[in-house]
Amino acid sequence: MDNTGNRFHLNLNNNDRPQFNDRAFPTTPSTFPNPIFPPQAQGAQQQGQGQNAQQQPYGTGFAPAPAGYFMNNPYPPQYQQAPQAPQASYQQRPAGYQANDATNGLAHQFSNQNLGGGRASPYGNRQAPQGPQRPRTAGAPAQQTYNSSLSAPMPNQPTQQLPEYERAPERNPDKYPSSTQANQKKCSSLAESFFKDNVKRARDRNVRQSEMEQRLVDPNQSQSRREQTWSNAGKQEGKYLRFLRTRDNPENYQTLKIIGKGAFGEVKLVTKKQDGKVYAMKSLIKSEMFKKDQLAHVRAERDILAESDSPWVVKLYTTFQDSDFLYMLMEFLPGGDLMTMLIKYEIFSEDITRFYIAEIVLAIEAVHKYGFIHRDIKPDNILLDRGGHVKLTDFGLSTGFHKLHDNSYYQQLLQGKSNKPRDRNSVNLDQINLTVSNRGVINDWRKSRRVMAYSTVGTPDYIAPEIFTGHGYAFDCDWWSLGTIMFECQVGWPPFCAEDAHDTYRKIVNWRQSLYFPDDVQLGPEAENLIRSLVCNTENRLGRQGADEIKAHKFFRGVEFDTLRRIRAPFEPKLNSNVDTAYFPTDEIDQTDNATHLKAANAAAGGQPRVEAPEMSLPFIGYTFKRFENTTRG
Amino acid sequence: MSNLFSGISGRFRRSPGTPNGTQPASPTIGTAPGAGAGPAAGPAAGTSSIHSSSSTASLAPRVPPLPNSPSLSQTMSMNESTNSHPNSDPRDPLAPYNLPRPKPLWLNDMYAKHIVKGNFMTLSTRPKTVEQGEWIAHHVVEHYRNLWNFVRVIHEKDEDGSSICNPQTCPRMSAGVNHSFTWLNSRKEPVEVPAQEYISLMQRWISGKIENSALFPTDPAGVSFAHNPGNPGISGATYASGGLDTPHSSTPIPAGPTTLNASLSQLAGPGDWLGKSSGFPIEFVEVCQTIFRQMFRVYSHLYWAHFIDPFYHLSLEKPLNSCFSHFLLTATEIDMLKPQELEPMQPLIDLWAANGTFPKDSKAYACANIKAGERLLAMSANQ
Repeated sequence: MDNTGNRFHLNLNNNDRPQFNDRAFPTTPSTFPNPIFPPQAQGAQQQGQGQNAQQQPYGTGFAPAPAGYFMNNPYPPQYQQAPQAPQASYQQRPAGYQANDATNGLAHQFSNQNLGGGRASPYGNRQAPQGPQRPRTAGAPAQQTYNSSLSAPMPNQPTQQLPEYERAPERNPDKYPSSTQANQKKCSSLAESFFKDNVKRARDRNVRQSEMEQRLVDPNQSQSRREQTWSNAGKQEGKYLRFLRTRDNPENYQTLKIIGKGAFGEVKLVTKKQDGKVYAMKSLIKSEMFKKDQLAHVRAERDILAESDSPWVVKLYTTFQDSDFLYMLMEFLPGGDLMTMLIKYEIFSEDITRFYIAEIVLAIEAVHKYGFIHRDIKPDNILLDRGGHVKLTDFGLSTGFHKLHDNSYYQQLLQGKSNKPRDRNSVNLDQINLTVSNRGVINDWRKSRRVMAYSTVGTPDYIAPEIFTGHGYAFDCDWWSLGTIMFECQVGWPPFCAEDAHDTYRKIVNWRQSLYFPDDVQLGPEAENLIRSLVCNTENRLGRQGADEIKAHKFFRGVEFDTLRRIRAPFEPKLNSNVDTAYFPTDEIDQTDNATHLKAANAAAGGQPRVEAPEMSLPFIGYTFKRFENTTRG
Repeated sequence: MSNLFSGISGRFRRSPGTPNGTQPASPTIGTAPGAGAGPAAGPAAGTSSIHSSSSTASLAPRVPPLPNSPSLSQTMSMNESTNSHPNSDPRDPLAPYNLPRPKPLWLNDMYAKHIVKGNFMTLSTRPKTVEQGEWIAHHVVEHYRNLWNFVRVIHEKDEDGSSICNPQTCPRMSAGVNHSFTWLNSRKEPVEVPAQEYISLMQRWISGKIENSALFPTDPAGVSFAHNPGNPGISGATYASGGLDTPHSSTPIPAGPTTLNASLSQLAGPGDWLGKSSGFPIEFVEVCQTIFRQMFRVYSHLYWAHFIDPFYHLSLEKPLNSCFSHFLLTATEIDMLKPQELEPMQPLIDLWAANGTFPKDSKAYACANIKAGERLLAMSANQ
């Protein structure tokens, strides 16, 4: 295939026609994934300049320039012959349009009148109309460019009164009712995601095809082997196409067990009825997501999981939806999570700590390479696979990283009085009182923490202070979280744990005073040094210049990061089957699924019919995702 | 369920010569010139017998098989439109189109732009290994989803129950003053229905087809692959045994034909048809062609009746252009639309061929009159 002829990319940034800036395709920033520099609260931008300058090396090292969502997908090298260069035919006209210069003639005035600042575009970016529309003047210089015999000039006289084309009125979206304007947004985001998804699929398909062609010309291959290669490739592509056009639904899966519950949904161990394959299926309640303002987070999670193809990130096979739920079909990791492990073992030896922390470093590094900041790294989100190795999950979800960019939410929490009832699961936890001798108390705390993990509030224990003080944050906020997890592995509780979230917030903000290493816990000097280099202000935090800084720390001396995932993990899950849920607290989890609860509630309320095709509801457009490997996975 | 409309046909409407889109008072059914332009009694009767045997398909737009298609004939329109515009310059490549003056906004290159750049064929070219039927099915579904994304904008009712496309704004399923499409009623008579009703009926019919797994199989086990053209040495392997769930899988059957230049009906020998190896039924191609033709009519209506109101006002013309040009490239590439069926949108096709939207090696480009497109381009530049 002709690579240069295959360039096909989205043209959403309207580079070629600047006066169309009323069409900035507004859905992108709000519901699409975290930009490289995440949305900051208003106040945060005041310190913008200096901070950005500091972030520079990190940003360029990890991610494409933050030019906008669609620029995050640069083409693979073979497309670089003429990267993103508009085709000649596109260049021709815009060159004229861009000139607002009056000397450029009537044609431009005319087009600018038609285009300039639709008075009421739906995007809020208005310009004043550029004056009353002027009739086109026949015989003006611009018109005399007809000179091919084919485009014989229309006689000037008759055209004088009648323009060749209908005149474009000023755009007036406000004349339509709000339902139409809502449909407008759906329509433009669906069209966008259609092309975005398809360009990516076509690109991946071409890569697969050229890989196959290489195998076909391999002289060591027997004829029948080549034939097999061809037919397998055809069947896999065909299965994928069939998968794409088939609507998935929860009835295609058999629930074996509910292995997790959260405020926004649940995670079930399921098998696909058609082929018996095992998955973890996360289902999120749309109405809850909507109420709790979690939509951007759903998108972020879906996007990072869909984009990443890393052993450090839990694999997402497909996403689909119905009128009530969003579904994510993911790989099932039978080893449970690090929180369960910490509840079981209380503390880890330094060697074991080194293993997990080193793996988490690599996992966080992988996430950063995709241009995402996790922001919610905590033991519950660190899963263990069949071999006991680490994978990250929960990108901004379910444990309620509540109203993340709503700075005022945190301010309220920080200023407000602690209003939680004191007797809830009451464990008198003030870290000054915490010593190794009251581990039992700590474990009570952990159990309450599991309850908390399922609530909307979630635990703030591992969150970096800059996230909720509103001064903006960058990739290194995940390294703070790493430091607090390491503290917990070594000490037995997270450094800022407190009885309720408000106290934890205060402790985190005042970390200089509250970070305290108990006297009766013997930490190696390198371990303590690493923790202190991570749990500190962002200017001094290790990892600001990239994960290599952390890997080079003395604590990791002797660790071979490149082969870490291939060595045997200190704890390997002992499993009786591929659907063994021994490492999940299934007996603590209500085994009635949300769909059943919802059905009961709907039946009680009389039940309303669904109105709209689920994938058409605006906030969830583009949610549906289908990974190629899903059709080929063994 | 209504049994009123059992058939569908396209009919050529004589242009009353009124420029600028003023609705002609009444040139109705009888004015369709020539026998071929009517509902083509023969083929319609043929399909209606199928209809009567299948009650679930009573809403089906029945269109006769392609060669006898009653849809728009290009030659007729050429003859007629040149006559109806005595003033037009015979050398003007646009003259045969009998376009209104001023010309519609969407024929202005400035408004014929896209949200994507590059070679659309990347999305339409069948991967070599993929069986043709599977590729067609994929595109039917994708384009259906795309098109209804735009239809929803004009059809969804607002609070007071009205929609943008309604029986008052669009009493007929029109594509400019020159074209409108009729349904065949149960007596095989062409009936004019408002565009809204026409499109709704069609939508129900198409979704009924797409969701029918006998027509569009979903079982991954039934998937086949395409014949490997680059490997003549293994011609024995051009026979795919079909998936496990394919009936008669023990009999080797040729994999889907892939020669793009031959007509689809020629490719399938007796006992074989396109998509057979993947489990698509014998009528699959014909159904898909009908779906594409109907979708084309809907797009035509969107452009002729709703381009400015509402799509331009809502800044949706670029997404519309992108979806429609992708639709045209795909439909022609996989032989779902014939050149003569493109007439209502021919000038836009010409423009897109001339402005580089359609790659030169695409079939859509081959369907275009480049001179007409260049003329439009030149006129746009002088606006």
